[in-house]
Amino acid sequence: MNRMVIYVVLVAALASMLFPLWYLVVGALSNNPLVLPGAGDLWPKDPRWSNFSDVWQIAHFPRAVINSIAIALTVTAGNLLFALMTGYALARGRGRWPKLWMATILGVMMMPAHVLIIPLFIELNTFGWIDSYAALIVPFLVSPIAVFIMRQYIASIPSELEDAARVDGASESFILFKIVAPLCKPAMAVVAIQVFLLNWNTFLFPFIFTTRPEMRTLPVALAFFQGFQQVNWPHLLAASTLATIPILIVFLFFQRQIISGLTAGAFKE
Amino acid sequence: MLRKRFSALLFTPWAITFGLFWLFPILFALYLSFTHYTPLQPDFEITGTDNYVRLMGDVDFWQSVRNTVIFVVGTVPFTTGLALGLALLLNSKIRGRGFFRAAYFFPSLTALVVVALVWTSLYARGGVLSALVSWIGLTPPAHGFLMSVSTALPAIMLMDIWAAIGYYMLLYLAALQALPTSYFETARLLNASRMQTLRLVIWPALRPMTLLILVLNTIKSFQVFVEVYVMTRGGPLGSTRTMVYYIYDQGLVKFDMGYASAAAYALFVLIAVVALFQARRFGFGEEIAV
Repeated sequence: MNRMVIYVVLVAALASMLFPLWYLVVGALSNNPLVLPGAGDLWPKDPRWSNFSDVWQIAHFPRAVINSIAIALTVTAGNLLFALMTGYALARGRGRWPKLWMATILGVMMMPAHVLIIPLFIELNTFGWIDSYAALIVPFLVSPIAVFIMRQYIASIPSELEDAARVDGASESFILFKIVAPLCKPAMAVVAIQVFLLNWNTFLFPFIFTTRPEMRTLPVALAFFQGFQQVNWPHLLAASTLATIPILIVFLFFQRQIISGLTAGAFKE
Repeated sequence: MLRKRFSALLFTPWAITFGLFWLFPILFALYLSFTHYTPLQPDFEITGTDNYVRLMGDVDFWQSVRNTVIFVVGTVPFTTGLALGLALLLNSKIRGRGFFRAAYFFPSLTALVVVALVWTSLYARGGVLSALVSWIGLTPPAHGFLMSVSTALPAIMLMDIWAAIGYYMLLYLAALQALPTSYFETARLLNASRMQTLRLVIWPALRPMTLLILVLNTIKSFQVFVEVYVMTRGGPLGSTRTMVYYIYDQGLVKFDMGYASAAAYALFVLIAVVALFQARRFGFGEEIAV
């Protein structure tokens, strides 16, 4: 196949992959709030930049942004700490318990998350956690995939260094946090990327565990704006664009890490 | 040697949380599926297989099963095929490769809610896709693609293919780059054509990755919910009501939680059967570890 054909296919694919994202921005700049951006508007005529500042006036939008950032950061940090501690204990522990737990973790990873909807709702409701940050954070601090990735990585590091430190009288917590943790940076990057992206975009659980508008995360808030009787589409699309920008920034800065982080785990080391 | 007490100290907080919010709910759902539990009248008494019997005769449930199966069968093979095609094209020395890869990949990083909102406006009456369809010479649905029984589900499926390709393309690309170059050299020495190399060398070598992609994408696609909630709420006339939407509707709108749990376990069994079938069909991958 000659080069020309390959390029034609690649560019055609590029156009279809990028068009909806382009349209998101065109719609966000539209100055006609009453109708959907029409077919004629493939280019922002008379762009209305103030849409981006106007959305901050929409009730609870700023709060949703803060909720999303706070929850995604807390869940990511919590998973890193939990995964390091638990992954280390599972990688270095002896006997059959670590193996049994790893099998359990794998089993839960295979389990479709929809099974959790009803029982988790009942449980959190019993705790009085519906509409609280606890419901949006605590269950997601212990994501099985994070522990799985960390355990596999730590198991691949030789334990001689730790033993040598023990002989020198280092405390166990010193060994974990000052010797093992720095060696785990690549795996921590993978965990951080996967957990952050998943959490930033997630809809189902925050949607089910919140009823008050102040407690919604960005994706949930966006879905509710759309449910209003009079949808202001330019505002909705402007808000959607704002919700996408952090992902774009993270992607542009950490492209290499994100790509290797999301494909890691697909191969056994 | 890691000391036992310290190891227990590290492990216990995680184990308690994990047990409380993951293991327990999974088992609790199974238990609930044998009760008539509803928050309006919390009653944990086991009533046997009532819910499952009722499911078997529930027309709406079967419609959701049918929609979900159409969704999975109509998206997974296309997503996989297109992802492989793009990965193969990008696996050669091409100028701007990094840019193409990034651009194809970015949609799959975008929140599904955002994707669904954009496509809702693309699909609307008088929207871009209606214009495109009339330009080709066909008649677009009068009230937009999402308002017509015959086009709503395919419209959501097309969007999902678009949104998912990038990620699986990356996985294929990683697998292609991990192939030993000796494979390609041997193929060249044997004077194999491009098609032969693809069919006899690359495709078999990619088998483990294809299995992984099929299983991951199947599990995910069976659980389609966000798109449906944002774009159609299951309508028109239940034509886009999928199984997870049905579970949500029964459990959290109608509060029939025992029944919803039975539907959830039915879906789980369906997913497990299909995933096992795929694994057998494509051979348990030697290098597969999710």
